[in-house]
Order: sequence, then C-alpha cells, then structure tokens
Amino acid sequence: MVSTLIEQIVNGIVTGSVYAIVAVGMTMIFGVLRAINFAHGEYYMLGTFGAWFAIDYLGLSYEASIVVGILSTIVIAYVVGQLVMRRMVGAPAESGVLATLGIALVLQNTVILVFGGGYKFFSGGYIEPVSILGFSLAEQRVLILVVCLLVFIGLELMVTHSRMGKAMRAVSQNVECCEVVGIDVPQVVLRTFILGAALAALSGVLTAPVNVSVYGGMGELITFKTLPIIIMGGLGNVRGTFFAAMILGIAESLVATYVGLQYRDTVGFATLILMLMWRPHGLFSTQARF
Amino acid sequence: MTHTLTRRMLCLSTALLTVAALAPGLAGEAKADEAPIKLGIVAPMSGPNARYGAFSMHGAELAVKEINDAGGVNGHKIELYNADSQGTPVEGVSATRRLIDQDEVDFVIGDVSSSVTLAMQPVAEDAGVLLLNAASSNPKITYGAGVGGFKWTYRNYPTDENRAYVVAKYAAEERGFTKFAVLSVDSDYGRSAIEFTKKYLPEFKGEILSEDYYKEGEVDFRSVLAKIRDGGAQAIIMYGLADTTPIIARQMVELGLAGKVTLVGNGEFNTEKTIASAPTALEGAVEAAAWLPAWDSPESKAFVEKFTTTYNEAPNNHAYVHWDTVNLLAAAVREAGSVEREAVRDALSKIKYKSPVGEVTFDDHNQARLPMILLQIEDGKPSIKGAFTADIQYPAN
Repeated sequence: MVSTLIEQIVNGIVTGSVYAIVAVGMTMIFGVLRAINFAHGEYYMLGTFGAWFAIDYLGLSYEASIVVGILSTIVIAYVVGQLVMRRMVGAPAESGVLATLGIALVLQNTVILVFGGGYKFFSGGYIEPVSILGFSLAEQRVLILVVCLLVFIGLELMVTHSRMGKAMRAVSQNVECCEVVGIDVPQVVLRTFILGAALAALSGVLTAPVNVSVYGGMGELITFKTLPIIIMGGLGNVRGTFFAAMILGIAESLVATYVGLQYRDTVGFATLILMLMWRPHGLFSTQARF
Repeated sequence: MTHTLTRRMLCLSTALLTVAALAPGLAGEAKADEAPIKLGIVAPMSGPNARYGAFSMHGAELAVKEINDAGGVNGHKIELYNADSQGTPVEGVSATRRLIDQDEVDFVIGDVSSSVTLAMQPVAEDAGVLLLNAASSNPKITYGAGVGGFKWTYRNYPTDENRAYVVAKYAAEERGFTKFAVLSVDSDYGRSAIEFTKKYLPEFKGEILSEDYYKEGEVDFRSVLAKIRDGGAQAIIMYGLADTTPIIARQMVELGLAGKVTLVGNGEFNTEKTIASAPTALEGAVEAAAWLPAWDSPESKAFVEKFTTTYNEAPNNHAYVHWDTVNLLAAAVREAGSVEREAVRDALSKIKYKSPVGEVTFDDHNQARLPMILLQIEDGKPSIKGAFTADIQYPAN
C-alpha cells in the first residue's frame, strides 16, 4: 500500500518535471510581456518534430536529434519573436491573446500540411527500464528528472546573477523605468521568448521517447496543462512554477490511481480553482517573482 | 457618400454571388453525359485519428478507381468527395452537411468514430441521403436504424457486441483468464465494448478487477498500469486507439507487466509497427478485428497487393472496410439498375453481396451480418484463430 503510494508520487514527480520545463518558459514570457503565450505548446511540438525529422529523415542519433530539435525551434522562435512578440511590448492584453492563438494555429497547421496529420512513431531514446529503490522506470524518465533539476538550478542562477537575468527581472517589474535607464526592452523580450521556446522544445524532445507518438496537435494539450501551473505558481515566478508543476504532477498521478484515469485531465483546473479560493495571488506571493 | 458606396457594393456582390451560384450548375451540365454517382466520404482527416482517415480515404479511392477504370457502374462513374470530421461529432455533422448541401452527394460513407456516426445519422435521415457506415462498431448505431428508426442508415461493419462476446469467450475458454482489468478509450466505442464485455463475462466466470478509461491523446499510463500490476489481473481488456497501443505497450515493458499480463480486445495490436514498439508486451495479445491483411482469401490478398503497390504501405482494417463498402454500394446500384437513392436503398436491404470475408446480407435493423476475425500474436506475428459470427439480440423497443 505504502509502496504503491511512493511509486505514484515518483511517477507524479517525473510527470511534473515535464510540465515544469515547459511551464517555466511560459511563465518567464508572461513576466516580461504580461501576456499568456497560447502558442507555447506548439514549441514543444516543434522540438519533438525536429528531433523526429532528424532521426527518421536524416538518420541521426537521438543525442544529435535533441540538438536539431532545439535549434530548429530556436530559429522558428526567432522569426516569430522578431515579427510578432517584440511588437507586443506595451500592447493591450487582448492583442497578446489573439496573436499567440493565431501563431498556435499557423504553426500547428503548417506542421500538419508538411508532414501530414497522422501520428508519427518516435523511435529514439533510452527506453530500457531500470530499477531505482525498487521501482521500475525507463532510463529516459531519470534523464528527464535530472535535466529538470539542472534547468531550474541554471535558471535560478541566471535570473539572480547574469546581466540578461537582471534585465529580465527589471522588465517584468517596470517597463518604463527600463527604457529610462537604457535597457533595450524589445531585445530582452525577444531573448526571453527564444529561451522559453527552447525550453519547451527541450521538454518535447526529452519526453518523445516515452510518449512514442508525435503529431501536429500534440502541443495543444500541453498548453492547457501548463496554464493552471503558471497561474498556481504565481504568473512570472520561476520557483513557484517548479513547485506548482510538481503538485499538479503528483495530484494527477494519485487521481489516476485512486479515482480513475478518465478524471486525470480534470485535476489541473480543479486544483487551480481550489487554490484560487484559498490563495488568489497564487501559491507563492507575487512579490517573489523571478 | 458612404451610403451610395455601400449600396453599390451590395449590388455588385449580389451580382457576383448570382454568377457564382450559377457556375457549378453550368459546369455540372456541361460534362455529365451519364449522371455520376456522387459519393461523399466523412472521415477524420486531421486530429488524433487522422491515420484512420487517411487509410479510409485511400481504401475508398482505390475502389473508386478500380470501378471507374472498368467503365463505372452500369455506365455511371463514381465521383468521390471528402470531408474532414476531425473525429469529433460537431465537425462530423458540419462535414456531412457540407457534402449534402454544397457537393450535393446522394450517398455518404462515414465516419470511423462511433460518436461521430451517431451524430451524423439524423443529418442523413433529414436529407434523405443514404448513410452507409463502414467502420463504426457501437451497437446503438443500428439499434436505432431500420425498424429501430433511421431508415437511411446502413452499416457494413460488425458491432462491439459481437466483438466483446468473441473476445471474452476466447480469453476465458482458450486462454483460461478469469481476472481482468479494463483499460479502454473514453468514447462511445471504448465504453460500449466494455458494457457488452460485462454482459457476457459472467457466462465465462470472468471478473473485472479495475476499470479505467483514457482520453484521446493521453500519454501517461504508468499510474494505472502500476495499479493493474498490483491488482493481480491476468489480462487487460483494451478497446483502444491504434495510436495509443504502442504507448501503453512500452509502458507495460517499463513497469514489468510485459509477459505477465496479456492485452485482449482491439486496437491494432497486430500491425508490424505496433509489435516492433514493444514485442514482449504484445506477445500473446488477442485481438478481434473485422478484417486483417493476413486474411486468407484470393480477393483479400489481391486487395492487399494492389493497395501496397499504390500507396507504398500495407492496408489496415479501415482501408479494407472502406474499399469493401464502396464495392458494396456499387453492387447495390447495379442491383437497383438505377442511381436513385430510394432504389439503391431498397436494393441494399435485399442484397446478397459476396465480400472477401463471406456473403453479406442486412437484417431488419440495416445491420450487415459479418464475422469477427480473431487473432493472437505468436512469435511477433499475428496468427488467425478463426472467424466467428454471433447473432445480435436487439433490445425490445
């Protein structure tokens, strides 16, 4: 009984890691732009497609495909960032919603037009099971967990110590003052956006081996799983996002075990509603942003 | 100023619209020497079931090409139109309306998904267009057809009830399973298959230990598989989606269920790709399908060969049933000696059509009497265990 519970918590943490890497990018973009990026799941999808393309068409190894997936997403994110995202600085909130929803549709349908709407089979990755503390896990999941921790340690260091991190925090606090002191706001927005998209792509490439199927519409589901996480984490809060993702991952895992798999997708928004009733500002105070 | 402009625009656009409305009529008159048979296909061409849709279209296209190349049906060529249902009832209904209102088809074949087909039935009924289903297995579709209600719905596909019975019987009697866990897709197809499994399982002293349904697009089955492992089930009854089967099979390997718990049900367990994704998890899996490429009949073998050379890929069940259903429709038109909808419908009710899996006739619920083919994965290859027919007991209404 207890061992089942622990195993499910471990499962939840692994699921949470995937959510966390995607959500942290989305939350940082919200921080600098004050806009929810509804196309965020599409970068997750693009990363996976890039890697799948590298393996199936170019015959590369899984390791190389990770690089291809992330780099191709960065190129697309750069174009989208230049054309769309940097224009959204200071724009009203509804233009952000429309623009990112539009981008989501364009990216998704372009991929479907180019590669077809069917499921692709992702063949790379380390799928052999290993036994840790008596639980059987695919090696890939251990990798996801480790990468997630590294990503969050790296991001913490970046936002507190590096010049770009400090600029990001400044932009998220007050755009006008940044302009006064000479911070190039559109540039910061563009870089944050590309970083966020690259992290989403990384998450996609890492999960592809265990999720097996790759298809054009796969990003949508991720966007809607991440939305409650970033709200719970306190929009724009890196550390908060990490814990919110873990809470959601574990809650989903427990619901799937003890209530039923069919209720899994309701967990995210149900937890969100409960949490908003208790702490309307998010689990972590908005003061702690970044 | 603004007013005059608006009025002028209105006149202009009205004139343009009139021309546009007349144009297709003119074009249609010009080329029709013998009236074509207008056939619409509703299938999921995008979304999570897009693969089914692509196979369905290819199957139908191949049949249409064969028939037209041979001079058509009594001189009438078949014109094929397609519409994307995206696998959802809402889109399926508007796709059907588009085919009926804009393309003015007389016959519709569709959809793959039972939920979509159920929503399409009243649309076809109102328009008096023949809806010939080729791939949905929910029993409700023909419970409510023929003497049950919808006069324009026919189905050339065996139902979940038939399938559930055949699978439960084989799993219990031949394999000796008594403890089952359910893991099916959360749709009209997945849920009704389990409903009928529950109806028949007590006959074979089987019991269900746990019951879970997954949403389309679900990728994480670790929690539920761990529960199944700890619950001590011998087999998982799965009526699922082909694209999800490899994900579940791989996670079964991950959790150490492979070789200990057997998959039984339906969800394309037998394709090469699926087996290759997790050979140990699929070994011994039992599946009931309306058709499979290994089926031993000359017509079926010829179809597999032709399909493979045309599309560079082996056909699946959906490709076959759509190919076969187009042929069935052609046979009905031939029998009727007319392309009139009523005549074709009446011919269909009385038809004795020779399909590659056996002779097809329709009962008073417009349901084709068809066998289910049962197979088991042995040494990484599907091995056919036989074809079984079960008579459908319609509920009194």
